Amino acid sequence: MEKKVLVRLKVNGEWVEARVSPRQTLLDFLREDLNLTGTKEGCGAGDCGACVVLVDGRARTTCNLPVSKVQGLEVMTIEGLATGAGLHPIQEAFIDAGAIQCGYCTPGMVLQAKDLLDRVPEPTEEEIKEAIDSHICRCTGYVKIVEAIRLASQKMKGSVQ
Amino acid sequence: MTAIGKPVHLIDAVDKVTGSLKYGSDYKVPGMLYGKVLRSPIAHGRTLSIDARAARRLTGVRAVITGQEEDLPPYSVAGERFFDERLLAKEKVRYIGDEVAAVAATDEATAREALRLIKVEYEEIPAVFDPLEAMREGAPPVHDGVERNIARSMKIRHGDVDAAFRESDAVAEATFRTPLVHQAYMEPHSVVAQWDAHGRLTLWIPTQVPRLAQMTYANALGISRERIRVIQMPMGGAFGGKLEYKLHPLCALLALRAQAPVKMTNTRKEEFTATLPRVPMIIRMKAGCKKDGTLLAKEAEVVADCGAYLNYGPGILLSAASRHDNLYRLKNIRTDGYLVYTNKVATGAFRGFGCPQSFFALESIIDMLSDDIGMDPADFRLKNASRTGDTTPHKWYLGSCGLTETIEKSAEKAEWYSKRRLLPQKRSGDLAYGIGMACCLHVSGNRTFLPFFDGASAYVRIDEEGLVIVQVGEPDIGQGSKTTFAQIAAHEMGIPIEWVNVAAVDTDISPHGLGTFGDRSTTLTGNAVRRAAIQAREVLLDCAARKLGKSPSSLRIEGGRIASQDGSALMEFREAAELASYEAAGGTVMSQGRFLPENVSMVDPQTKEGNISCAYPFVAQVAEVEVNVKSGKIRVLSLTAAHDLGKTINPLLAEGQVHGAVAQGIGFALMEEMVVKDGKVTNPDFKRYRVPRAKDIPPIRTIFVESNDPNGPYGAKGLAEPALTPIAPAISNAVYHAIGIRLTELPMRSATIRHMLKKKAQGRS
Repeated sequence: MEKKVLVRLKVNGEWVEARVSPRQTLLDFLREDLNLTGTKEGCGAGDCGACVVLVDGRARTTCNLPVSKVQGLEVMTIEGLATGAGLHPIQEAFIDAGAIQCGYCTPGMVLQAKDLLDRVPEPTEEEIKEAIDSHICRCTGYVKIVEAIRLASQKMKGSVQ
Repeated sequence: MTAIGKPVHLIDAVDKVTGSLKYGSDYKVPGMLYGKVLRSPIAHGRTLSIDARAARRLTGVRAVITGQEEDLPPYSVAGERFFDERLLAKEKVRYIGDEVAAVAATDEATAREALRLIKVEYEEIPAVFDPLEAMREGAPPVHDGVERNIARSMKIRHGDVDAAFRESDAVAEATFRTPLVHQAYMEPHSVVAQWDAHGRLTLWIPTQVPRLAQMTYANALGISRERIRVIQMPMGGAFGGKLEYKLHPLCALLALRAQAPVKMTNTRKEEFTATLPRVPMIIRMKAGCKKDGTLLAKEAEVVADCGAYLNYGPGILLSAASRHDNLYRLKNIRTDGYLVYTNKVATGAFRGFGCPQSFFALESIIDMLSDDIGMDPADFRLKNASRTGDTTPHKWYLGSCGLTETIEKSAEKAEWYSKRRLLPQKRSGDLAYGIGMACCLHVSGNRTFLPFFDGASAYVRIDEEGLVIVQVGEPDIGQGSKTTFAQIAAHEMGIPIEWVNVAAVDTDISPHGLGTFGDRSTTLTGNAVRRAAIQAREVLLDCAARKLGKSPSSLRIEGGRIASQDGSALMEFREAAELASYEAAGGTVMSQGRFLPENVSMVDPQTKEGNISCAYPFVAQVAEVEVNVKSGKIRVLSLTAAHDLGKTINPLLAEGQVHGAVAQGIGFALMEEMVVKDGKVTNPDFKRYRVPRAKDIPPIRTIFVESNDPNGPYGAKGLAEPALTPIAPAISNAVYHAIGIRLTELPMRSATIRHMLKKKAQGRS
């Protein structure tokens, strides 16, 4: 049996501690150990963006990221984005713009959009496309996703973050 | 208040955007094991022995099944009579990826380790990968007893083709090739299987076809159909790729042997090597016309490479060989079609069902003809376009046909005529510009597979709280059909859409339905939902009328209230629902709506004639491109897509369907190909199999033409599939307009363009 390592990380605002295999991915840890299945696996190789979460605020694929590398860091999954007050403006914008079809790429796209809008509150269309170019959506042709992120930018401009 | 025609949000959007929706691959049951498949590493060979002893001894392994130990019946997909596959290969493997054995263990790592411990001894035999080679005498037989590997062939004959060609002023001919491309839905196939104490199986699967799955898996497992319950899970995309799939019954067999529930999920590599991608085709097509543009004759030979197993190949070949003949008024037709086995991954349905392949040929040939006679390609199409009321040589009755309007409107919005004239002169440096058009049609549900079954049913239930549950046999595959059905029910019942839920399909509970494919849902199931909702409304109004002492015809439902015809509210919907439930001793209002389209039939087995659908959608798309004559790179600058969808029930969802189809069409035209070398897929991941990303998508202009089909609910017809079909030929025609090079192979490659431009320049000098 391989040696397990102790990891401690913050997931959606709560500290969690676990003994994990050094090879276990953050994706597997979130989905299998914490039952946070909102983070999806699309390719297992970091090529599609379905498994993106925020690690210390930055979008990261998790299918190729060992959980041991996230020691002490803060992870936000899609389950952590909406608050008691309701959906996050990005989530609202995805619904309003019709940017969701099957929804499998949506969690990763939404969190990538949050990473972008936190850094660049009013991105150009090119900046939006650049940001989500590491994600695959096979349903929407990206058109309404780009619209949703633009709409989210407007919604967030008006609100206190 | 009406929900029809409004941009209503997905009714499950909040579940999706918060990550709380449980997809098939998210599903778990207590005590579940994990299964993995051992696949053939060789393209063609005999399995001499399988030694699974070491795997069975491994701690954590609960079951190992092999094709030699299990007595598995041969089977095929629903409706197919020729049984050419088994869940696990018995004597022979036929492609790299063929299922040989499977393991269930307490975790995935142990299952994978166990696969490595299974020793299989193969005797390799010659393999054949090219369909034309496979058709030659003496080619290695993929299936014993299938002559020249021709799994199915068909001949279609109408009119006098030879005479029509003699009368033609212009004749164009070319051979077109389309590649092996993958649906590349984002969620890989997944399944959870569990047997109960009575030997009844439950499958939780993200599938487009719960009922067909039940039929097919019963055959594959050699058990009766009623011993299988399929519970459809939400799925991360499908696009035709989630019809029946071998992983599901394999998982069931593992669960039976392990006596525990088992879950299996494909890796992306397995997706690319062992699922059911689009059937590649080689299509030789020839057509002739008069000087004035009248299309006279068309001849074609379609060779469809179905890979190792039939699957839906026969239906796809039929579709590719015949559907495109109905687009234009054409009387003289001669087509030979062949479905050919090769030692490659088996193929299947993918958005368009043979049409993206055949329309690439037809719509290229149409441009070649119009070029020959010096006629504008849009005018050529308009001259020959099928029209409402036509009965085609294949006996399709076109109850509505907006083809002419889609051509006119896309031409207008894309500034077709001026750009056709001006773009060739716009050349700047290495950049050349062009604009091209292509059209297509499709079905709204297709009478192909099951002789005994057509149409769709729906149940509508109003519980005592006034909440409405709609049950259908057609899963929402991500396109939003649950929302469409909720809109229809809400509209007919006069209630807010928030009061309506649409259940996932469960074969123990839902009506029998063929499932979601062939653009069936909106038209067939939509009609059934509409009828069920009307009936439920009438039951409720009867009940309210008794209570109110009024006649039912004096009442209606409006804004969630029972009202008199002048609109004054008399009773809450909920109150009436409660009353109806109590009157029925707690039984809720439950109605069943049926839609069985009239005058629709299976095709004649010989002539292939038959009105296979109750409504036919039409599309015209215009692509504007920039071609770099140095590098050969094609850039799509814009797409104008006009769709005769009959009636737009939800513009938000309809636009989404067009956008997604355009993206997939661009992938098919310019980017995607599963590269197979000696039977092995050499690019089984998204790094090397490139699907369109955000930066690959040009601006898309979407136009909806509402031809109001008499058979569609509110006039609605299919949309999602034909929206993909014309993209490749539209782009190819635009490339020809830009640089005078006719591309006949997909994906269109810059290297081919460079090569052909060079050849052309040499020819000139």
